[in-house]
Amino acid sequence: MPVAANPLLIVVSLLIGLAFNLLPWVGTVQWWRPDFLLVILLYWVVQQPRRVGMGVAWMLGLLTDMANGGVLGQHAMAYTVAVFGTLMLQRRIINFNLWQQALQMLPLLLVEQLMSILAATFAGHAFSGIEYFLSVISGTLLWLPVSLLLQWPRNATRAADAS
Amino acid sequence: MPIRDEQLQLFPRGPGAGARLLIYVLISIAVIVADTRFKVLGGVRSALSTLLYPMQEAVQTPLDVYDKVSGFFVNHAELQRDNGILRQRNLDYAGAVLRYRDLEQENTRLRTLLHAHLRVPLHTSLAEIISVPRDPYSRRIIVDRGGQDGVRAGQPVMDEIGLLGQVTRVYPYTSEITLLTDAGQPVPVQIQRNGLRAIAFGVGTDNEIDVRYLPQGADIHKGDLLVTSGIGGVYPAGLPVATVANVEHSANRAFLRVECTPKAAINSYRQVLIVNDIPASKPVRQAPAGKKK
Repeated sequence: MPVAANPLLIVVSLLIGLAFNLLPWVGTVQWWRPDFLLVILLYWVVQQPRRVGMGVAWMLGLLTDMANGGVLGQHAMAYTVAVFGTLMLQRRIINFNLWQQALQMLPLLLVEQLMSILAATFAGHAFSGIEYFLSVISGTLLWLPVSLLLQWPRNATRAADAS
Repeated sequence: MPIRDEQLQLFPRGPGAGARLLIYVLISIAVIVADTRFKVLGGVRSALSTLLYPMQEAVQTPLDVYDKVSGFFVNHAELQRDNGILRQRNLDYAGAVLRYRDLEQENTRLRTLLHAHLRVPLHTSLAEIISVPRDPYSRRIIVDRGGQDGVRAGQPVMDEIGLLGQVTRVYPYTSEITLLTDAGQPVPVQIQRNGLRAIAFGVGTDNEIDVRYLPQGADIHKGDLLVTSGIGGVYPAGLPVATVANVEHSANRAFLRVECTPKAAINSYRQVLIVNDIPASKPVRQAPAGKKK
C-alpha cells in the first residue's frame, strides 16, 4: 500500500519539476530535454490519484505554456489528456516494478507530445521534425530516478514508524 | 447470456473521469482559440509571468553561483593568455576605431551633402537570458528585462557579433525574444557587397535562415555577408545578420534557394543586447527641398 504522501512534498516536487523545465538549455541537447514537470506529475498521479488529478494537470499545463511563450492552452490540454490516460491505467501501473512502470509511461508521454503537436498545428505552427519525439525516450528514462527520489522520503518515514 | 452486475462500476472513485476530461479539453480549446484568434489573454499572460518570475530567478541562482565559483578558480596561465589576446585585440580595435571616426565624419559630411538622413549611433542595454523554453517548435528566449526596465515590444536584439532577433512580448519583469531562426521570422536584409535587398526568413532549425524570393539570376554568392537594410523601420541598418552558406540554382523553381548561417552566436550566449532607440527611419525635413531642382 502506498503511504499517504506529504502534500508539501507533492507541491515542492512539482515546483522543482517546473524549475527544471525553465533551465536555459542550449544546443542539440535541447531535443533530449525531458519534460521534468510531466514525469513528476504522472508519478504523483500514479501514487496519489485522489490528490493529483486532471485539475492540477490543467493548471500546470497552463503555467508551462506561459513559460514556453507558446500557445496558451496547448500543454494544458496535453497534460490533462496524459493524466486522464494515467488515471485509467493507474491500478495496473502501480503493480509493476519501476522498469515496467517506465515502459508503460512511454506511450503516455507520447500521447502528451501528440496532443501538444495537435494543438500547435491547430494554432498554425509547422511540425519541426522527428527529433521532437526524443524527449519521450528521455522522459521514460527519467521515470526511474524520479520514482526512486520521491519514494525515498516516504520509505524513510515508514522505516521510522516500523522501528 | 452474460449477467450484468449492477454493483460493478467502471469508475469507483467518483463520477465521470471521462466527463471531466471532456470539460478540461473544451476549456483548453476555448483558451487556445481565445489566445490565437482573438488575442485577448494579454492580462492572463502578464499575471502568470509575474507568478513565474521568482521561479525563473531562483533557477538562475545556481548558475550564477557556478559562474562565480568557476570564475574564481580560473588559473593564472589562462588569465595571462586571455589578457594577451585581449590586449592584442584592443590594439587592433584602436587602429580600426581611429579609421572609423574618420570615416564616420566623412560619411556624415557626405550624407548632409546628399540630404540623406543621418545614422544615429545605437544605444543598447544588457539583458541576461533566464530561460529557454522547452518547446522545440519555437526559437525563443526569455530575458530578465521587462516593461519595468523600459523594454518595449518590437525592439531589436543583438549580441556583439550580429543581430539575434526581436522582442515580441513584454511582461513586467521579463520579456520574450523571438530569434531570427524562429520559423517564419522575417528580417529585411541587404547584401553588403552589392546592396541587393532581400528578405531572410527563419526556418525553425538551429543555425539556418533562408533568403526567399530572389530571382534565379540574382547576384548572390556563397560567403556574402547579409546586413540589415533598415527598411521597415524595425531593425537599424547595417547590423550583420548572416553569411550565405549555400546557393542552389534550380530550373524548376521560380526563386533561388539560399541558405545562410546567422552571424550571432544563436545558441551559445548568456547575455544579449537590447537596442534601445531605433534610429528614426523617416527622412530628414530638408529632403523635399533638396529634391526640387
